[in-house]
Amino acid sequence: MPGALDGVRILDLSWGIAGPLGVLLLAEQGADVIKVEPPGGDPFRAYDGYRVWNRSRRSLTVDLKSDDGRDVFERLLGTADVVVESFRPGVMERLGFGFDTVHAAHPRVVYLSCPAYPDGHRFAQRPGYDALVQASSGQMWEQPGWRSGPIFLHMPMPSMGAFYLISTGILTALIAREGTGRGQHVTTSLFAGAMLYTTQIWQHIEKSNAQLHELMGKSYPPGIHQTMIFECADGWVHASIMSGLTPTKSQDAILGLEDAPDPFVFMALPPDEREAFTAKRREKFKEWKRDDLVAAFQEHNHAIEAIITPDEQFSHPQLIANEMVTTVVDPVVGATTQVGTPLHMFGTPTAVQGPQPTPGQHNAEILKELGL
Amino acid sequence: MTLALEGVRLIDFGQYLAGPFGPMILGDLGAEVIKVEPVTGDGMRLASKPFFGCQRGKRDIALNVKDPRGLAIALELVGTADIVHHNMTAGVATKLGIDYAACKQVKPDIVYCNTWAYGFEGPLARFGGLDPLYQASSGLEYESAAVREGNVPLYYRFGMCDASNAMLSVVAVLGALYHRKRTGVGQEVWTSLFDGGAIFTSDAHLVGGVPAPRPHLDKELMGVSATYRLYRTQDDDWICIAAITDDEFRKLCTVLGVAEIVDDARFTTAASRAEHRRQLETILEPRFRTKTATFWTRTLDDAGVPNEVPLDTHGGEIPLFDSDNVELGLVARYSHPLLGEMRQFGELIDFSETPGRVAGPPPLVGQDTRAILRELGHQDPEIDALVADNVCYEPDDHYAERFVN
Repeated sequence: MPGALDGVRILDLSWGIAGPLGVLLLAEQGADVIKVEPPGGDPFRAYDGYRVWNRSRRSLTVDLKSDDGRDVFERLLGTADVVVESFRPGVMERLGFGFDTVHAAHPRVVYLSCPAYPDGHRFAQRPGYDALVQASSGQMWEQPGWRSGPIFLHMPMPSMGAFYLISTGILTALIAREGTGRGQHVTTSLFAGAMLYTTQIWQHIEKSNAQLHELMGKSYPPGIHQTMIFECADGWVHASIMSGLTPTKSQDAILGLEDAPDPFVFMALPPDEREAFTAKRREKFKEWKRDDLVAAFQEHNHAIEAIITPDEQFSHPQLIANEMVTTVVDPVVGATTQVGTPLHMFGTPTAVQGPQPTPGQHNAEILKELGL
Repeated sequence: MTLALEGVRLIDFGQYLAGPFGPMILGDLGAEVIKVEPVTGDGMRLASKPFFGCQRGKRDIALNVKDPRGLAIALELVGTADIVHHNMTAGVATKLGIDYAACKQVKPDIVYCNTWAYGFEGPLARFGGLDPLYQASSGLEYESAAVREGNVPLYYRFGMCDASNAMLSVVAVLGALYHRKRTGVGQEVWTSLFDGGAIFTSDAHLVGGVPAPRPHLDKELMGVSATYRLYRTQDDDWICIAAITDDEFRKLCTVLGVAEIVDDARFTTAASRAEHRRQLETILEPRFRTKTATFWTRTLDDAGVPNEVPLDTHGGEIPLFDSDNVELGLVARYSHPLLGEMRQFGELIDFSETPGRVAGPPPLVGQDTRAILRELGHQDPEIDALVADNVCYEPDDHYAERFVN
């Protein structure tokens, strides 16, 4: 069965995380993606993780600063539906392939730009590494940690927001093109990606009160969900008060806690009594092995997860059930285990289309298709 | 100009966050979103801020879908729609009578999306769940705190697994809509919080069964290498640097007055700097403490070393009132009938020909109940009876006693 984007050709000139990963969600819906990169390859290839973000596409190496290279790219544009680029504002114009030029010659092409900062912003020409956008957008200060001050977010959050905006922007423009017959310039940024994840915490409300701000506010020690993290004998778990199911035994009873107060009584206890009981709970958790406790909680309909390393995901039974554990044979390092495609579409199945190509791996094939 | 998703109607049966956020984003792109809300209100309203963050621009009909008359109206609405979207747990939509089969019967080409906690099937599919579980299951909480350094795991307070699930649903729904445009055929799609967490650590992979190398945070949560991290400055402020290339490293050392270490064999390549990370940091840390953050950013800018002073947002107030952000449409402003002026992030994607828009504030419970029922052809006496029987609700004089917003 063909994917939803069967027959859609995307030229991906982007580097970094957001562009390649945003394109991945379209490639694995069946789009034909050609990564157009400089001779020697996209510099971000130095990172091992790129093997995942950069998969499901073909690679063509082209020097866009040479006449021959420009000619190849111009021909390729004639076959394309979408162009994706992630350079600073002005770079594509200097290469001779800015939006206006491409749109004039190829009016049906959807042209997506994702620089670090939007064109017109005072930061537009500043360097756009993910961590720097974490800093300038305020994400580092929003996260409390074990000391005061900004916290470096291990998760590259601006990029991890922007990749969704890239996939969303392209698909929306493709849908609009079905009506208008025309492509257009779609723009987003890593900075906009950072903003995407402020939805639950950044609200200016004129007639607000302190209580309303407090619930989701930044706090030391870190906020409400942090209190549900418990140490076991051999690791950590994150328990939850909500599973959507009716528990068949209370968490305290499973833990073996005697004289546990009813949860509503517990909430009404004076803080010091509550703290004393919480300390007893924490000691009980330590008597359990992590995986035994997770199994016991889940058996009785309590939501809980072990706090695992990212590599441990691949043996998580639900990740396997979601068909999200996949083997990809890389042309350089051989068999790899990767996270699969997180889009589940019954009518137009998604699938990993292949490993990360080596730089220029498909040069001959693509040039032949172009009649060169 | 025509909106990007002009003429697309979405019926949003979701509550809380991971359901409703996706429809809100599709609404920003121009879709008409009708929130079908229980007459008792969305369970998330009590939390206010997260609720507002996922609801702006929607129309709202308050409907008891468990009542046969309510269900009939819900299916009438589905019959006018292009997309049905919700985050109910396993079996609930079927029990209510609004699962894919039921919706397809009244609208054969419907695009139907369920955002789950875990997934459509599998050992944990029966569970609902909140964002923190998936920060745990994906490894985010382990890496965010540098647990391997002896720290307690750290929850990221952005709730981004909720948003990730919602954004996956946006991408799946748009793919399905595009397919429907080209073929006339609808379909059922699903996404999950669990998968939404997994994609955030998707660079983690095994090569021949062995974990591929990945950068890790230090115990103080400063960064992932000596030259891609935060440093504390003289004024107890901070600076983040990203000196990636050898050239940038050389310039950094010159600015910091330690040019002599550039030729130190421990630091000549990115690989050797990684190997001797702690030694290099021990040299750089006291240097940064000798001047203010403002001094360093100006000096590093002049020298061409990528850097930024982290912004203290004061709970989001600074960026929401930043004139560049406002002028570029990155801030949305609207007026709520009870809470006055509100601001949130604005349009995050710009379209040169078919723009998006933020259609308005988060709705009151049932604010459009009567208008929507009239559009469906119901007459006022019947609507009055539905309201009197609590099958439907529309705001009345007692609204403030019943709902917080």
